[in-house]
Amino acid sequence: MKKYILFLIGLALLLPPSVMAEDFLKAPVIPGGKVLVKNDSRLEFSVPQGHNEVLAFYRNALKNSKDIRIREWKNETYIEDDGNLPWHSITISKGETGETKVIIVKDNWTWILGTLVLRFVGVFIVLLLLFVAMMISGSIISRSVGKAEAKKAAS
Amino acid sequence: MTFNEIMDLLNGIMRTTGVFNFDPKVIVMWAIASLFIYLAIAKKYEPLLLLPIGFGIFIVNFPLVPMMGYEHGRPQLLQFFYHYGLEWEIIPCVIFLGLGAMTDFGPLIANPKTLLIGAGAQLGVFITFTGTVLAGFTLKEAASVGIIGGADGPTTVYLTTLLAPQLLGANALAAYSYMAMVPLIQPPIMRMMTSKEERTIRMRQLRPVSKREKMLFPMVTAGIIALLVPSVIPLMGMFMLGNLMKESGAVGRLTETAQGSLMNIVTIFLGVSVGATMYADKFLSWKPLFIFGLGLVDFAVCTIGGILTVKIMNLFLKEKINPLIGSAGVSAVPMAARVSQMEGLKADNTNHLLMHAMGPNLAGVIGSAAAAGMFIAMFH
Repeated sequence: MKKYILFLIGLALLLPPSVMAEDFLKAPVIPGGKVLVKNDSRLEFSVPQGHNEVLAFYRNALKNSKDIRIREWKNETYIEDDGNLPWHSITISKGETGETKVIIVKDNWTWILGTLVLRFVGVFIVLLLLFVAMMISGSIISRSVGKAEAKKAAS
Repeated sequence: MTFNEIMDLLNGIMRTTGVFNFDPKVIVMWAIASLFIYLAIAKKYEPLLLLPIGFGIFIVNFPLVPMMGYEHGRPQLLQFFYHYGLEWEIIPCVIFLGLGAMTDFGPLIANPKTLLIGAGAQLGVFITFTGTVLAGFTLKEAASVGIIGGADGPTTVYLTTLLAPQLLGANALAAYSYMAMVPLIQPPIMRMMTSKEERTIRMRQLRPVSKREKMLFPMVTAGIIALLVPSVIPLMGMFMLGNLMKESGAVGRLTETAQGSLMNIVTIFLGVSVGATMYADKFLSWKPLFIFGLGLVDFAVCTIGGILTVKIMNLFLKEKINPLIGSAGVSAVPMAARVSQMEGLKADNTNHLLMHAMGPNLAGVIGSAAAAGMFIAMFH
């Protein structure tokens, strides 16, 4: 009985690290990877697998998450969470070395506020361009109307 | 037939009625529906929308009514309107077509500077987004709640249907309610944000705008929006098509239909479908209440944003703009412009600001659509 209890205690002590090794901020982590950088807000690791295998792992692991968006960029695949998960993005590198680098970043206000400010400025830019276009088209039209009126007056 | 058989038969019949499936929660929804119907009929607050919305809420909140579900895989009546009208994003775009056919962009073309006021008045949209995320909403939900401050009903419905359809009822109701309450919400903010001297600023009479300019405007605007914010072109494209139809004068019959019968038909479908999304089970939670609260703040910040933009512009302009027209930068056409006119007259009873305020008012429609486009681009 004592041995059994000691085994259970040992198991309980060992279990949390092994569970934690499977995820970072609730984002799934591929087992057997080599950790390159790890702090509270960022995990970088590499795995001896190709990009497609890693992507397939994440597609499968996140298939039940509603607000996930996967974007294919030139050098990496970018997975973004638009919901309430504690992580913001998972970046999977593309390459032909047989080793893939994965970066998991914590959800952060810098991104939210940054994108909001940029988009607010974007609204100004759209309307500013419209303003410029209207000024140009307005002046062209008023000139052409002026010329036509001058012609009429002359004749 | 034995007595027991008769009782079983009666029991079976009774169970097909709503009485035996009654849920007390629906009483709250009846009260909400009655409130909106009352506001529409007695107070004339956005009656064209609040009345069908109110009735939509009322009618779906009865047990067993075959209105918003599916039967043998086929949508029931209101589900049919909702699915093809809203989920397929048709109704908001058709409403924009009608709005375009009713709009005169002359004041905006005559004073294009006011476009910037329409952009500044989107401040609340982005600030509310942050507040909504802090409250635990997802980013998509936050975007759909934020756009309420733009005070543009079809844009709110369009964006919410795309990003957070579960909030459609609350968002649409908040947007249309606050649009109706512009004369109550804006004046105190306008007086607080401006000095007596600023309120009496006189603006030069707007120049006449030629027909050619008016015809060119929808083409230029549609082109620029399509290039910069293509995601919102279904709305803005239809808006500009309606306007081109009107300004060209070549398709009188089509213009008449777009601004009349067609607009009225889709307004009925829009109102009743939006109302029908509000079941007691879904609606009675903290989220709609929170949306209503935050929508008010959103609206106030958008008003402040518009006025602040005018004040900043005045630092650089020789001919000053009356900051009272800044509040019209939220859409709510033409109510917000009328509020600017009324407040202007209170400060100086010979200073008419209505036509000047129509510029930012119309710019607000374009601005809120641009803001919606920014959000759509963020998530799609």
